[in-house]
Amino acid sequence: MKRTQFMVKRVLQGLIAILLIATVNFMLVRAAPGDPVSVMAGEAGASDAQFVAQLRAQFGLDKPITTQLATYLGKVVQLDLGYSYRQQQPVLKLILDRLPATLLLTGSAFVLSLIFGITLGALSARKAGTWVDSAISLVALVFYATPLYWLALMAVLVFTVQLDWLPGFGFSTVGSGATGLALAWDIAQHLVLPVLTLALFYMAVYARMTRAAMLEVAQMDFVKTARAKGVKPGRILRAHVLRNALLPVVTLAGIQAGGLIGGAVLTETVFAWPGLGRLMFDALLQRDYSLLLGTFLVTAAMAVLFNLITDLVYTLVDPRIEL
Amino acid sequence: MKRRNLLQLGGATAGLTLAGIPLELLAAGKKGGVINVALQPEPPSIMIGTIQNGPALLVGGNIYEGLLSYDEQLAPQPSLATAWTVSPDGLTYVFKLKPNVRWHDGKPFTAADVVFSIDVFLRKTHARARSNMAVVQSIREVDPLTVEFKLKQPFGPFLGIFPANGMPMVPKHIYEGAADFLKHPAHATPIGTGPFKFKEWARASYIQLVRNDDYHVKDAPLVDSLYFHVIPDAASRANAFESGKIDVLPGGSVEYFDVARLAKLPGVVVTTKGWEMFAPLSWIVINNRKAPMDNVKFRQALSLALDREAMRKVAWYGYAEVPNGPFNRHLKYARADLPKLARDKDKAKQLLADVGYKGEPLRLLPLPYGETWQRLAEITRQNLAEVGIKVELAPTDVAGWNQRLNEWDFDLAFNFLYQHGDAALGVARNYTTSNIEKGSPFNNVEGYSNPKVDALFDQGQKELDPAKRQAIYFEVQKLLVDEMPVAWLHELNFPTVYRARVNNPINSGVGLNDGFAKAWLA
Amino acid sequence: MTLKSPFMRRYMRNKGAVAGTVVLLLVAFIAVFGPWIATNDPWGMVQQPFLRPWTEPGFAMGTDTLGRDILSGVIYGARISLLIGLVSTVVALLIGVTLGAIAGYFGGWIDAALMRFTEIFQAVPSFALAIVLVAIFQPSVGSIVAAIAIVSWPPVARLVRSEFLTLRQRDFVQAALLAGQSTPRIILTQILPNAMSPIIVMASLMIATAILLESSLSFLGLGDPNQMSWGYMVGSARTVLRQAWWMALFPGLAIVLTVLALNLVGEGLNDGLNQRLDGRTK
Repeated sequence: MKRTQFMVKRVLQGLIAILLIATVNFMLVRAAPGDPVSVMAGEAGASDAQFVAQLRAQFGLDKPITTQLATYLGKVVQLDLGYSYRQQQPVLKLILDRLPATLLLTGSAFVLSLIFGITLGALSARKAGTWVDSAISLVALVFYATPLYWLALMAVLVFTVQLDWLPGFGFSTVGSGATGLALAWDIAQHLVLPVLTLALFYMAVYARMTRAAMLEVAQMDFVKTARAKGVKPGRILRAHVLRNALLPVVTLAGIQAGGLIGGAVLTETVFAWPGLGRLMFDALLQRDYSLLLGTFLVTAAMAVLFNLITDLVYTLVDPRIEL
Repeated sequence: MKRRNLLQLGGATAGLTLAGIPLELLAAGKKGGVINVALQPEPPSIMIGTIQNGPALLVGGNIYEGLLSYDEQLAPQPSLATAWTVSPDGLTYVFKLKPNVRWHDGKPFTAADVVFSIDVFLRKTHARARSNMAVVQSIREVDPLTVEFKLKQPFGPFLGIFPANGMPMVPKHIYEGAADFLKHPAHATPIGTGPFKFKEWARASYIQLVRNDDYHVKDAPLVDSLYFHVIPDAASRANAFESGKIDVLPGGSVEYFDVARLAKLPGVVVTTKGWEMFAPLSWIVINNRKAPMDNVKFRQALSLALDREAMRKVAWYGYAEVPNGPFNRHLKYARADLPKLARDKDKAKQLLADVGYKGEPLRLLPLPYGETWQRLAEITRQNLAEVGIKVELAPTDVAGWNQRLNEWDFDLAFNFLYQHGDAALGVARNYTTSNIEKGSPFNNVEGYSNPKVDALFDQGQKELDPAKRQAIYFEVQKLLVDEMPVAWLHELNFPTVYRARVNNPINSGVGLNDGFAKAWLA
Repeated sequence: MTLKSPFMRRYMRNKGAVAGTVVLLLVAFIAVFGPWIATNDPWGMVQQPFLRPWTEPGFAMGTDTLGRDILSGVIYGARISLLIGLVSTVVALLIGVTLGAIAGYFGGWIDAALMRFTEIFQAVPSFALAIVLVAIFQPSVGSIVAAIAIVSWPPVARLVRSEFLTLRQRDFVQAALLAGQSTPRIILTQILPNAMSPIIVMASLMIATAILLESSLSFLGLGDPNQMSWGYMVGSARTVLRQAWWMALFPGLAIVLTVLALNLVGEGLNDGLNQRLDGRTK
């Protein structure tokens, strides 16, 4: 009962937050100079006042700003994210088209970084003080300090330009017409570098966090008690230490998961990966208000959702934590 | 001197080719094949009656046609019109249309379509067509294959306003009576009279066109299908070309250093042809309204400080020419005798001293279209610094650049425009007083006003005699160079890179936009 | 804080932190004295383009697309990176500490309201928000600093709030209240000094993040085009990676070293300020 109450309360709060975010974003993007019409007029290479006025009317930009906001919020509540005049498609469709590519990239990176990060961190904590620990810590630190886009560029330089082992751009080979298994293999090859780049950074974070948390917990009394009672070290590790050390990792994982949708702009840019991050960036440059706001909204919703899930996972990991 | 000819008969030059395709090839039946073209960026639409950006024209130019087409010398060639006459007073033009032309959905193309396209549809949707038609008093259908234009006053460049990108013919039976021409469901499946029909558009992936088997030019086009692939990343495009997935990289879709590299590969052709109609010219817009830029000596000093040769070599990799003034050399009546714009740092410093420039910093707006323009802006800043003009780059994106130019909120700004074959069509709008108006980055943004120049351009567009037009335009070029309202930078070449097995993709003044009709695969 | 104080002893014990401090001091030195060390104006087109490193004397890192000296670029880049990193962190701290202190001290509905406000900023991915902010205010050193500060303050606020919540209940605060001290005085002179340790550690990490953020923005083309920054250099190298890999390598290495150093220093500060570590092996 308590859990349901908690969930309802949080969901309501989340919805209000999303609406607020939508409003703030709405005003924010309009503060940028220019608008979608000026971009399109610029690209046409010729325009006059009539052309501009027509487009403005078509895009609904000639109405007063409060009307536009009300219309927008009204649509959002009905899960209608609007229409992109620039791309001549509904925003929701554009986002859903790009979603698989993004999730493939960020999802794989997420899973990979969690598994390897926690494992390496635990290993490092177990062998604290040895060269294994130092090596892992150093490597983790370096990857943590490396800018993502630079890592991506270096990866392309080494593996694509110099060694030609892996493709460095795009989702699949252009015009190959491959289908089924061949297509899957092609996509998988294109996936390797971007996923590795994205995963390495978070792996480093999880490894360091796991290590620090485990060492801290290992000092605690209940662990000493367990050791004194003669519980096997492996079991101590799994049942006691890891569980408690995972809390900060869960927090971070929640934040990363929340950023699954919109947080890979840099990776997508370097690898020309057709994801949502890139879509958002392009929409920003084209001042495609509806598309930009749509991607923001989806991103914000994901973040709020994962905040909620994170809190729920807390209770699973540590029953002492109350909602 | 011959009496002014009343009848200009257009027609395919008799000879050993039919529409540019060697007859022996037709006999050999070299039909078939697919051409893969890179497309960047993905256009909002390919209905070129409503959208005219580069990629839209690249694809849509194969679907739609205009009354006329233009060769490399920009001489009008028959397209949907086979013959045309001009009255001696230059006020009446009569076009004879090609018989038995069909729209892609099978309906016949007639004069009614022409009148509808120009007088009703394009007037609402196409800014450039609209301004070109300002001089037209009436247009009417004489009979199903004849159209008559009556002008309010003589208009020299009138025969140059009919390419597909400027005046595309759209089907009356589809669009007549629609409330909104800009947004119409039929735009999703464009119907034209052109050599290729629209087949499929897989968003963010590719657009496919297939051969129009009922095309009104016999045995053309030869290829079966055109695929336009959307590849947003320049390196990917170059990659795709190298690996053979793409056959044609249109001008502007590949980075210049890649052009140099790809040109060395076997079986690759690089050409700068196909831009004669558009004739792009780049320059630095100088805001004539603010001091010290309102002083002609300051502007001249600015121009003298620029190292156009270095920019040409380093930023454009040689794919640009240094101009001698406001006319791209491909333009009709461009003066060949004026010297190229030169660099003279000492003279520049002298002029600055005369003007009394104290070193106030100026804001320069780069063009937000990629690395090359960014490099150009940086070189400009260095060049100007060397003579003592302090410049700060104001960063901006496309929307911001448009906004600033629309509102005249800049000191210096980069710009480049197409000149469309004739001074009256593509040059006058940048220097005449009547074109000083907020809201567009393509008119007289710098605010230059000289009644003599206004008068010359006005005369030039009314004059029909080529010799007199030349005299007028020669004079205005000299005048503008002396006054330097803007600092012209380069005539741009946008090299097209393609595989040698694709033959003849560029065979007119608009290049790839209508070239595929006469291309074949070896 | 003398060299023999407990803090310094614990700090020095962390060899990584010591190494980091050395590197950081080096970077700071380069940042301050850069213009006197660099042989060329970083924007000056002084040599042929795409010169490989170590082929011409005086151009240890080669040249770029326009023939500009990369070594000078890296040196000047240090100034901008450190400047933006420091200033934006200070601003973020000011905002975060203020809001966190108020929320933690007063509690109740003020706390709830401020926390909801903070959550809104945390819901949007920070990098995406930074991009939008810079695009709106048009890129310049000022707008970048503001954008980074705006996306960085929420974690500070949360940290300060939790510290204040605990410290508020302590005896010395109760005593100060009884003594009739004014609220601002209590916050500033009593609680804040005791909360400083985690704030300082966080600050060093924030500078590192700020530098990464700034370089990412410049990489995407949203940097101030009048400043030669490391991120900008890597960004302009992206399209010519095949021809000139060194254009991306050197500025990138500079970023890695600086951020690494800051992280090590942060860990050292953590050790130094964390009393519980005394006498324990790690």
